[in-house]
Amino acid sequence: MQVNCNHLQVGYGDTVIINDMTITIDKKQITSIIGPNGSGKSTVLKAATRLLNYQKGEVIINGRDIRKYKSKELSRYIGVLAQKHSAPADFRVKELVSYGRMPHLKPLSSFSKEDYEIIDKVMKTTGVWHLRDKSIYECSGGETQRVWIATVLAQDPEILFLDEPTTYLDVAHQLEVMQLVKNLNKNTGVGIVMVLHDLGQALEVSDKIIVIKDGKKYSEGTPEEVITPKMLKEVYNVDADVISIAGREKPVIIYKELA
Amino acid sequence: MLRCGMVMLVLLILLIVLIFISCAVGSAGYSVVEIVKALFSKEDSIIKVTVMYLRLPRIFMAVLVGPALAASGCLLQAVMRNPLADPGTIGVSAGAGTAAITILLIFPNLSMSLPLFAFAGAALACVLIYTLAWKGGIDPVRIILSGVAINSVLGGYNSMLQLLNSDNLSGVLAFMNGSISGVSWGHVRIAAVYTFIGLFFAFMCIRPANALQLGDEMAKNLGIRVNLSRVCLSAVSAFLAAATVSVVGMIGFVGLLVPHIARMLVGSDYKVMLPTSILLSSCVLLAADTIGRTIVPGLEIPVGVVMSVIGGPFFLYMLRKRGKFNAG
Ligand SMILES: Nc1ncnc2c1ncn2[C@@H]1O[C@H](COP(=O)(O)OP(=O)(O)O)[C@@H](O)[C@H]1O
Ligand SMILES: [Mg+2]
Repeated sequence: MQVNCNHLQVGYGDTVIINDMTITIDKKQITSIIGPNGSGKSTVLKAATRLLNYQKGEVIINGRDIRKYKSKELSRYIGVLAQKHSAPADFRVKELVSYGRMPHLKPLSSFSKEDYEIIDKVMKTTGVWHLRDKSIYECSGGETQRVWIATVLAQDPEILFLDEPTTYLDVAHQLEVMQLVKNLNKNTGVGIVMVLHDLGQALEVSDKIIVIKDGKKYSEGTPEEVITPKMLKEVYNVDADVISIAGREKPVIIYKELA
Repeated sequence: MLRCGMVMLVLLILLIVLIFISCAVGSAGYSVVEIVKALFSKEDSIIKVTVMYLRLPRIFMAVLVGPALAASGCLLQAVMRNPLADPGTIGVSAGAGTAAITILLIFPNLSMSLPLFAFAGAALACVLIYTLAWKGGIDPVRIILSGVAINSVLGGYNSMLQLLNSDNLSGVLAFMNGSISGVSWGHVRIAAVYTFIGLFFAFMCIRPANALQLGDEMAKNLGIRVNLSRVCLSAVSAFLAAATVSVVGMIGFVGLLVPHIARMLVGSDYKVMLPTSILLSSCVLLAADTIGRTIVPGLEIPVGVVMSVIGGPFFLYMLRKRGKFNAG
């Protein structure tokens, strides 16, 4: 399975945010989208997942135009967790996660045994099993984020799209979510596409990185190809070195000291 | 789930008790034994006539009208993602009011068909508001704002007509302060038909209503067609409210108050919140009507007035207490 965005033009109303963007996302990989604030990362993600209509171009999933899918059918192939989300505070964790099974429900029918098994399984893999009877309101930020990931995971998608899954979390919880994403990809083979803020994390977990600047694709490739001092200067306007450290698989970014 | 079952059982028992009380009390009070005896005897005693043709139709009306209004409120709150939405928000009350006032004051010879015109007025106002708010999709905030605007225009028109005809307002006042006094079994039958149709569709809307509570993007992700769902939910809601208003006039606060209390009792999941609202609204409306016709001997206070006068303070009380039930 592949997701191809060809010559996408996306915007809000008459304004154009994303211009002539062509990207390819492979199944079974972790793909990160990075770029400065307001560069259009969320906009691309929404257009690629039909949360937002695009103005020109096409999005092809599994060789088929995204507009040709019935909305429920598409929900079984892709799960999207947008940047902002909210649920009524009294919803229990297991209740919220069970909504992920909605695309698989036939009209008027209720959950099957299999549905319940999947709901339990994703709560265990995302580490929210012990919270299942708590209300959302009682969960911490990191826990809430894992509950939402469990919800989209319950859709049993082939590709999961996550928009800044670690924003607002402290470092420990950020790493926890990254580890979760990595394990999911490794153990279940679900493809991951995420917008990330932290370049270090993107470098660490991604198979492929797409850099967006001012609504255009700046570059794409493996982390080592993409994260370079030149890119950091041109896209983020920061001076930095990217160096290898003995004993670490991936290089690290060292930002220039502040004056 | 256990808790929801308990809540509904309690409400059901409460409703049955209320029905008995409401049969028994009034300008002439009877004991339950007397009533049962009279209803099962062959002769037309005065008790039988009073209970059978005066009190029972009214009781059934309250039990039907409440759920229609409450379900209407529940659905709209899902459409708007706002617990303050009620049938008034989408112009149902103002539209029905405008039609009723126009008929009663300008075309009194058409008063026989008042319910029909009121229904049409309500539906028209609602369609107008949605048309004005439509811009490549339905945005709840735009609906609320265009609702405010249309409500204000219609309200002004209504006031003006009333000022110009200030000596002839009794019919208008009766309509504006919804009342279920003097209803017959015929009215009850009509109300039963539309309530059951409306509630059937309301139950069909549970899944999209729940999904909309998770936000538009999550709902879309789950395969819900957000605009279509909003239109369908609104249509069912408007139908329930418009049909109710056309038969009994305007009864405020039920669509707002009851879903709110139901949410506190059983949570926001429409699978349990909607049935709870339905049972609760029957109890609330029946209680309000019974109070209205007994509290001042010899005087009928319309149920709409009782709802507003008691509902307002009660709502405030619930808001203050809310922290204990539900932190959100
Ligand atoms: N709903 C919206 N309506 C209008 N403009 C928007 C909307 N959402 C985002 N934008 C604009 O689109 C641009 C890109 O936003 P976004 O895709 O959210 O950036 P990023 O996710 O990379 O921070 C920004 O200039 C932002 O102001
Ligand atoms: Mg963003």
